[in-house]
Amino acid sequence: MSRQHGDSAYAGVTLRPGRCVAAVIRDATVMALSCGSSGAADPAGADEVLGAIAAAAPGDIQAVTIDPSRLLLDAVLHPAADSAGTGRVAVIRIVPRAARDPRLGRSPAELVEGLVGRRFTVGGGHDLLGNELCPLDTAALARVCAHLQRAGVRGVAIVAPGSQAQPEHERAVADAVQAALPDAHISAATDFGGQGLVAREATVILDCALGAITARLLNVWEDAIRRSGTGAALRVARGDGGYSTPSRARALPALTLGATDALELCGAAYLHGAEECRVVLPRPGGHVSGDVRHGLAVVRSAELAGIGTALVVPTAVLAPDPGVSQNGERRWVRDVPVVHADADPDLLACVGAAVSQPTAWIDEVAFIESAEHLERIRREAEERVSAIVMANGAAPGTAYLTEASIVAVPYSPAGTVRIRVRVAGAADGELRRAHGEVRSEVHGEMQGRRPAEPVVP
Amino acid sequence: MSSAATGPGYIGMVSSISADDVLTLYEGAKFYSPAVGDANKASLTSWLTGLLDRNGPVALRRADALPEDTPCISLCVVGSGAALADLPPAGDEFVLAVQRIERVARVTFGAIYPLAAATVSALVPVAAASQLGLPLLDADGMGRTFALIHHTAMHLAGVSPTPLVAHGATGESVLIDAQSASRGTRLLGANVDPLGGWVALAAYPTTAGVLRRAALPGTVSRLVNVGRLLLERTDPDLLVARLAAITGCHRVGRGRIVELEHLSRPTDRTIPAHPSSLVIEESGERGRQLRIELRSEIVAVFADGLLVAAVPDVLCLLDVSRGEVATLDSLEVGDLVDVLVTPADGIWYSAEGLAMVGLASHGINLDHPRRR
Repeated sequence: MSRQHGDSAYAGVTLRPGRCVAAVIRDATVMALSCGSSGAADPAGADEVLGAIAAAAPGDIQAVTIDPSRLLLDAVLHPAADSAGTGRVAVIRIVPRAARDPRLGRSPAELVEGLVGRRFTVGGGHDLLGNELCPLDTAALARVCAHLQRAGVRGVAIVAPGSQAQPEHERAVADAVQAALPDAHISAATDFGGQGLVAREATVILDCALGAITARLLNVWEDAIRRSGTGAALRVARGDGGYSTPSRARALPALTLGATDALELCGAAYLHGAEECRVVLPRPGGHVSGDVRHGLAVVRSAELAGIGTALVVPTAVLAPDPGVSQNGERRWVRDVPVVHADADPDLLACVGAAVSQPTAWIDEVAFIESAEHLERIRREAEERVSAIVMANGAAPGTAYLTEASIVAVPYSPAGTVRIRVRVAGAADGELRRAHGEVRSEVHGEMQGRRPAEPVVP
Repeated sequence: MSSAATGPGYIGMVSSISADDVLTLYEGAKFYSPAVGDANKASLTSWLTGLLDRNGPVALRRADALPEDTPCISLCVVGSGAALADLPPAGDEFVLAVQRIERVARVTFGAIYPLAAATVSALVPVAAASQLGLPLLDADGMGRTFALIHHTAMHLAGVSPTPLVAHGATGESVLIDAQSASRGTRLLGANVDPLGGWVALAAYPTTAGVLRRAALPGTVSRLVNVGRLLLERTDPDLLVARLAAITGCHRVGRGRIVELEHLSRPTDRTIPAHPSSLVIEESGERGRQLRIELRSEIVAVFADGLLVAAVPDVLCLLDVSRGEVATLDSLEVGDLVDVLVTPADGIWYSAEGLAMVGLASHGINLDHPRRR
C-alpha cells in the first residue's frame, strides 16, 4: 500500500448483526473503539460509531471504510433475523436448451436456491468467444416478461453463456424486463465477468437479493456521515480487501461479499509490518491461512465460506492450515514470514478496512493470434481495469498493476486465453503503510508492534 | 466406494461408486489431469450425487468379470473445461450419444467405460451408467488425459473409435464414421466448437472381451484412493509422501511461479490449446529454475535446462498454500507449487506409445528421461 505520510486519520468499521466494531489509524497508531450496542443498520448506531471515530481523531478523519459483508451475508443466511429481508429473486437463464435434470436446472447451493422465487429458461446464448449458439427466443421472452409483470416481481437475475464476450442476449432480456418492470432490480452476469454459468448465476442471484438491503444500509451511513460533519469520505469494503464507492457498491452489492476475510489478512499483515506474508487466522473449526502479496490479500473467484458454490467475485483464498510439522516448523513456507493473527478478528478487519485501497479486477476469456496481439489484449485489459479502479475511488495517476495472469485455456482452440488483471490505486493524501512503526492501541492499552515470525531458513 | 464385496469380479473391497464417493472421485480425477478448473465443480458433483442418490450406486466391474461378448461403449468430455463450465450439460447428452450409436450399430450396450479416467471425463461415465442402469468398467483408454481421442490403449490394440457420436449441449449431435482413427479425430475436432466448445463423446464401441486386453485396468478405483488423500488437506510434505506411496509419484521440486509465457513454441492445429510455459524458481538450497511446458496438459519439465520429466508421465502441480491440485487455467505468478511426476501406464513408454503421445508429438524432439 503506497500512501503519503501525514496526520490524517482513517477509520475502518465492520458491521455485524446488531453491532459495530471500529478502529482508527492515525500516524501509524491503531486505536480500537468501543461502539456500544446499537445496531449497525440504523441511524442511531451509525451516528454512535461515527461520533466515536470523530472523538478519537478530532478534525482529522479523511475516510471511513465500512465492511458490510458479514451483515449482508447474515441477511442471506438468516433472512428472518433482518426485518428488511432480501426479497425473492426471479432467475432467467438464457441457454440453448433447458436442463433435463433438476439438479442441473438449479443452483447446487441450497442457500442460493433458497433466494429464488421463480426460474425461467429462454432459448439463446453464445460460446466463450461470443459466437451465437442459438438465436434469442423472443416469443418465450415475451411470455416470461408477462408472467413477471403479473407476479409483481421486484428482483430479476439474468445469466447467459458467453455473455462475457457477447452480452447481446443478456442485454436484450434485461431491456425487455426493465420495460415490463420499470422498478425491478436487475442483475446481469455480464457486469461481473468470470468463469462458469453456475458461479455467474449464483453471483447475480446474490447481487439481486442484496440490492434493496444494501441500498438501505448505505443510505443510513451516507446520511450519518453527512450529519457527523467530519467531511470524511465514505467507502465500502470489497470482497478482495480493497474498497469502492457507495454508489458502486449500491449498483453491484455482490462485490462486497467476503470482504471480512480479506480485511483480516490485510489487517494482520499491517500490524506486523509485512507486505508479503502468510497469515494464520483462528476460526471456530480450526486455523485457516491465506497469503498477502504487495500488501493485498491473495484472492480468486472461488467458493465463499457458507455459500456452497463458487462465485465470480474475487475473495480471499483461505485454506485449512495444516499446522506445523513434527519439528514445529512450517517447512513448506520458507520464503515469506508467517504471521499468527491472534488479535481480535473484528479489530483486524477494521484495521484492514482502514488501510485498504481502491481496487478492481477482471477475469475474462480472449483470443490471441500473435505475440503482438497478446500484448495489445493485455494492455487493453489493464486500461479497462484502471478505469474501473478510478470509478472505485482511486485518484488520477495512482492506479498500478498488482497482478496480471494470462494462461492458455486447456483443450480450447489455440490462442484462447484466460486473462485476470488486478489493479490498485490510492486516494489523495492517504496514510502510508508505516513498516516498523505500527503501534496498536487496543482498549486503551498501547501495544508495541509485534515482530513478524522469522523466516524459516 | 462401497466397502462391501458381494460377488466375483470386484476389485479388492471396491464394488461400486455411491453418492458418498463423488467428491473423492472428483479430486482424484483432477490429480490425473489438472486441465479443468473448478468453476463447474459444485454443479457437476451435485448432478452426479443426485443421480446416485436417486438410482443407487453404480456397480464397478473388471472387464473380465463380464461375459466376453458384453457390448461396451466409452464416454468422455471432448473440448474445453471452461466451455463446459459456461455451457453446462442439460443432463441427457451422454445418454443420447450412447443411444444414437446403439441405433446405428444395432446393438444394446451392457456396460460403460471411461475413454479417459481423469478430470471431468471420469465423472460423466458414472453419470451415464447411473442413468442407463449399467455397470461401469474399472478400466479406461488413457489412464490420464491425452489431447486426441485416438491416443488410447484401444487404438494401439487395433480397436476403432468409430462409429462415434458427439452430442452438444445445444441439443445437436454429429455421427462420425471415419476411415481411420486419426480421420475420426480430425472430423470430431472440426465439430466441437460449433457444438458449443465441448461435446459429450461416445466412442470405441467394442466388447468386454476385447477390453480385457485393450484397456488399462483399475484406473477408476484408484481415483477414489488418490482423492481421499487429497481431501485430507494435511501437511503438504506428508501429502506428497502419501501420494507417492499409492501412485509412485515423486516431487521434482517446490517453488514459486515467477513467469507465465505464451506462444513459447510453434503452434500446430492438430492439438488444442497453444503452447505456453511457466517458470518456477525453486525454493531451498538447490534454487533451480524449473521450466514447465504446457499444451492443455503439462508436457515437459526442465530443471536448469535439463529435461527431467515429460509426457506420457502424469505431471501436475500441487498448490502448497491450498493443499490441492492446481488447475492449469488458474495459475498465477506468486503461487507456491510442488511439481509432481507420476509414471503413466507402461504401455505409453513403449516405442509405439511414445511415438504417439511422446514429446515429439508436441514439437520437442528430445528423448524421454526414462529412456536415456
